[in-house]
Amino acid sequence: MPAGQRTGAAPARSPRPFALTETGAAGLSLAAVNPAARALGLQPGLSLSDARTRAAGLATAPIDRAADQAALEALALWLIRLVPLVALDGADGLMLETTGCDHLYGGEAGLMAELARLLDRDGIPHQLGLAGTQVAAAALARAAPGTCLPAGAEADGLSRLPVSALRLSPEANILLRRFGLTRIGQLYDIDRKALARRFPSRQRADAVLIRRDQALGRSIDPIRPVRPAPSYSVRLPCPEPLASSDGLRQGLSQLARMLCDSLAEQGRGARGFTFLAFRADGSQDSLLIQTARPVRDPTHILRLFAERLDRLDPGFGIDLLLLEADRVGPMELSATALSGDLAAHDTDPVALAALADRIHARLGPDRVRISCGREDHLPEQGESVMAFNGTLPPVPTRRVGPRPVRLLTPPERVMVLAEVPDGPPQRFIWRRLPRRVVRADGPERISPAWWRHTASPAQLSPAAPRLDAESGQPVRTLPRARDYYRVEDEAGRRYWLFRDGLYGDGRGGAPEWYVHGLFA
Amino acid sequence: MNKDDFSALGMFRMRPQDQTRPPVFPMGLGADGVHELVEAGFGDMPALTGFALTASAGQTGPVAWIRYGRAGQDHGRVMLRGLPGLRQDPPSLLQIVTYRPKETLWAMEEVIQSRAVSLVIGEIQDLDFTASRRLMLAARRCGVPAILLMPYTRQGATAATARWRISARPSARNPSDPGAPGAIRWRAVLERSRVPGHTTPYTFDLELDDETLSLSVASRLATDTAAPGPPVHARRPADWRRTG
Repeated sequence: MPAGQRTGAAPARSPRPFALTETGAAGLSLAAVNPAARALGLQPGLSLSDARTRAAGLATAPIDRAADQAALEALALWLIRLVPLVALDGADGLMLETTGCDHLYGGEAGLMAELARLLDRDGIPHQLGLAGTQVAAAALARAAPGTCLPAGAEADGLSRLPVSALRLSPEANILLRRFGLTRIGQLYDIDRKALARRFPSRQRADAVLIRRDQALGRSIDPIRPVRPAPSYSVRLPCPEPLASSDGLRQGLSQLARMLCDSLAEQGRGARGFTFLAFRADGSQDSLLIQTARPVRDPTHILRLFAERLDRLDPGFGIDLLLLEADRVGPMELSATALSGDLAAHDTDPVALAALADRIHARLGPDRVRISCGREDHLPEQGESVMAFNGTLPPVPTRRVGPRPVRLLTPPERVMVLAEVPDGPPQRFIWRRLPRRVVRADGPERISPAWWRHTASPAQLSPAAPRLDAESGQPVRTLPRARDYYRVEDEAGRRYWLFRDGLYGDGRGGAPEWYVHGLFA
Repeated sequence: MNKDDFSALGMFRMRPQDQTRPPVFPMGLGADGVHELVEAGFGDMPALTGFALTASAGQTGPVAWIRYGRAGQDHGRVMLRGLPGLRQDPPSLLQIVTYRPKETLWAMEEVIQSRAVSLVIGEIQDLDFTASRRLMLAARRCGVPAILLMPYTRQGATAATARWRISARPSARNPSDPGAPGAIRWRAVLERSRVPGHTTPYTFDLELDDETLSLSVASRLATDTAAPGPPVHARRPADWRRTG
């Protein structure tokens, strides 16, 4: 299934010989050739000067592998319309896992015909092969295009094909040709040790045999799809391409109902939904929504998508819609409230989750958060803010000393004007305003977590010791104990001040003062 | 035909003796309608925060806190461990971060309409009359009260139930330690009220009892005469020095 050789506007199918070049170690060489050039005996890997002597009128252009790769990936995503699992196969091929999908198109031959029709419609040159294993299918597509092998017939179907169709390394191809092994069938009964003796290393000989075993289905060869297969998926082919958002909305509501029915049958809900719209011109667009809890309510899903449905560009028309459900889990149904009065102020997690979903769909991800308490003495680490996951955390009800209602992160340094040794400053400047402390309460000492901040050798290394200005001793940059004070200024504003360190604790210079929080 | 019959016919209406009457404190603050809490000066946002949480203490259930993404730099973020010092049953907070006033208004309306929370508190820089009217209608329709926390620059017309201007006041005398801050006090000035006949502006001095955590209206006399306590350190140490 090699895709087109080139994605740009180059005359890939023109009758004139044409080649793409790339700069290698030995100067410019050919990277890909069109059929006309191949008929003249040009092969990829030939140097450009050799090619020019063989074909005087050879037109060339530099190859753009990144663009090719991007176009191949885009095509792979578009082919999800046929089968859910599509993988990249080398730089020029795509692998489609057809298991369970072929019956939609009247069997494997029907699926191949449909694929060929779609690719032909968009003018993408292609070679197709279908077999029970990935390696066999790739070999058929390259050496015998159009073949459709029934399951279990790989050995017979591949035996006449050249060894090069297995896409071994160039040196392995040369060695095998030297031994007279030119057909894949000749590799079937070869002895592993005998082959290893003739190869430079056992690994390289094993590579040939592993590829053979994969082709024949004797060893496992998992597919690596460009995107993981969804847990649930429903599709809606449109007989007439959709060009209006009204049509899209109707299609989506039909899909949502179908999907929710199949989710309901199994008593499950999903937390992620992907809406894929395949345009007739070979491109696709997708919208993704996430929910905080598993849902299977079509109206809720529709409402979340409605915020962004306008961003889908129908282009020349959309001919297939797909709705997928991911992150499937058991559904938690909310009990219906006994009466309106009782339910009025009770926490309804489902309603909260639905609210969070709508906010996320409109404003973007990570907008709804909760604070969770953590067992940590340091105030700035006592709470972690995380995304809302459907449940509200328990609220601390115990009072542990005075704690402000607003916490500044990080703490802001203040300039102390009048300092006293064992107490808060009498005057300090915070945010450029001098404030006079009228009343104060404290201290509350919070010691650093010594088990976490052990001094690393780098901190105590004598290579670059920071010297204390007064004593001339090296400064140890260890975390220091904090003394917290609740102070009130003349205007009645209340601050949570702390002094970082104690006088003469040998962990740095003079202690510094910070505002860490603001009381109500 | 007595005068009542005339008034029933709409021919004339008795003029009340006293057109205005003093408002009674909570006025449904945090219980119904939309209330604007405005800083009296820059830096009163913590007082606003505490006031909003204590004044709505009658509400049980989660609170949606819509905070302005960049305001965290100015006023810090709400600290859960500070709530038990303000309310007996601290509410669980659902925090929604917004970056534009439009987003805040949309989120507030959405939260009100979801009826999933018992109170919506929104930090917003400014809003016009139409926006406040929308919020008011949504809050009345869905029965979810809303409180707006706004900076001191807030002026102009509003459709909200009331506008309060809040400032922190020197705290009450601490009975156990005269040098330490005591019960929290705020001054709430009722600046605008939708209730007809209210005297505005009307000043309330409020005190939060340390033990019971109940908010009560303190007498003006008590709050005004509360002189700042004695200095923290009556004895100034000899070796104080300028630092910083």
